[in-house]
Amino acid sequence: MSHLRDLQLRFQEYLIDGSEDIEQDIISTEHAIAEHRLGTYYNAYRIRLIDCLAVDYSALEKYIGREAFENMALDYLQHFPSTHPSVRWFGENLPTYLRDIYSGKEAEFLEELARYEWAQTLVFDAADSAQLLQLEDMAAVPADAWPGLTLNFKPALTWLDLFWNVPLIEDALDSGTEVPQKQRDDFPRRWMLWRHDMKIQWRSLEVHEAWAIEQAAGGANFAAICEGLLEWIDEQQVALVAAGFLKQWVGDQLVLNLDND
Amino acid sequence: MTQPSHKPFLGFGLGLRAEHYQDILERRPKNIDWFEVLSENYMIEGGKPLYFLDAIRQDYPMVMHGVSMSLGTTDDLDFDYLKQLKALIERIEPLWFSDHLCWTGVDHKNMHDLLPLPYTEEAINHVAERISRVQDFLGQQMLIENLSSYITYCEDVMPEWEFLAAIASKADCYLLLDVNNIYVSSYNHHYDPVEYLAGVPVDRVWQHHLAGHTNDGNLIIDTHDQDIIDPVWALYEETAKRFGPVSTMIERDGNIPELDKVLVELDHARRIAEPYYQA
Ligand SMILES: [Fe+2]
Repeated sequence: MSHLRDLQLRFQEYLIDGSEDIEQDIISTEHAIAEHRLGTYYNAYRIRLIDCLAVDYSALEKYIGREAFENMALDYLQHFPSTHPSVRWFGENLPTYLRDIYSGKEAEFLEELARYEWAQTLVFDAADSAQLLQLEDMAAVPADAWPGLTLNFKPALTWLDLFWNVPLIEDALDSGTEVPQKQRDDFPRRWMLWRHDMKIQWRSLEVHEAWAIEQAAGGANFAAICEGLLEWIDEQQVALVAAGFLKQWVGDQLVLNLDND
Repeated sequence: MTQPSHKPFLGFGLGLRAEHYQDILERRPKNIDWFEVLSENYMIEGGKPLYFLDAIRQDYPMVMHGVSMSLGTTDDLDFDYLKQLKALIERIEPLWFSDHLCWTGVDHKNMHDLLPLPYTEEAINHVAERISRVQDFLGQQMLIENLSSYITYCEDVMPEWEFLAAIASKADCYLLLDVNNIYVSSYNHHYDPVEYLAGVPVDRVWQHHLAGHTNDGNLIIDTHDQDIIDPVWALYEETAKRFGPVSTMIERDGNIPELDKVLVELDHARRIAEPYYQA
């Protein structure tokens, strides 16, 4: 191993866990001894990464409070030091960390809140879509083409399944309005997030719409979606309901274009 | 994407910050000559930052400034990172790009800090060779920036300015001389900042940074969250005397004031430097 590499490993070990071997390599002066000089880096490393996490998880920070958040973030930093050139990805493993480190219902809630906030960052930075399908474009689809229709969704769209009413709580924490009571459903509810005009939009989906959008994103055509929806909807109503979903998604500016399989 | 052989002079610019996006697009201020953008902030797929980057690029010259190349690390060069950098260079066609004379982590970890190197022959050879490979890969010369530092190593065998000059010459790259960083490091390590300037080759210096900092009593910390102090302005005047017209910009990263307030500082830089450019 080169001498320079040795020095860097000693320095980094100090930053990560305070190992003092590096002190022998550093010059002390009257003004500031090596320990104080090194401490500047030790503290800056922690402050910088805690602050980065607090930007991506601002609702979580408000929910648990700054002090608890800092302690949690310091522990996270020990478990998941950054390995990416862009600090933007440092917080990627926080939901996993929360699930693994904490236990019980509170951990489940915190993990869901973190997962939701991380999903927001991904949607915020997802690829742009130059052109989106508009409702007028759908009028041009001939009746006999409908059964084979498939949809391509834009990249700035995702959904997640949550037991807790996390999006309502996140929204209130973010906007400084009154935070609603925490509520847990017996079954997870699907929440959809997307970006429109550089802002994050979100809403919850009923179980049949949740099923339908997942199928559509997976490449199922209109006929197959109608057939699956029979589990919830009468045969006479099913095509109307499915077409209603399609119109809703197009109206929400989620669909890039249509294909026919 | 070739560069002119003479030293280009862009005038007086600012670091582009999200807080000012809207204001810049609405007013397109004429007294900002150019912008420096932080490369890593735009290594994303889409959305708001890239929207403003492209829009503002239409009206202003830009240069790119990175914090993650880690030229000094003993890990291998990160070509995934360099490919992303290349894509961004192709997207906005900056006049040049820069990074720091530092390492940011080792063993595939990133401390997201600009960590100083020892001033040794070993480090000169190591860093110069890596800069050459980066320049080959990206097909153009780059600028490297001097740091603010809080430590020096026992094994140092030369002053920082000799180290900087040796690497620039060996790698045939240019320099981004941060005037505040020279002031901060000279205070922290007790040397004369004007002696530093005298040790830097005039032709290599293509860009200056100016910024504010925080003094903790024993050390000055490079926080970029305060106004520029008078001793740094005085050192900038010395810099203008020695280096002549060099593209100059202000870095503000914390406690970010309104655009107009930063522009007052930028005008101050103009008033200090321009008299030396006529001569
Ligand atoms: Fe700088």
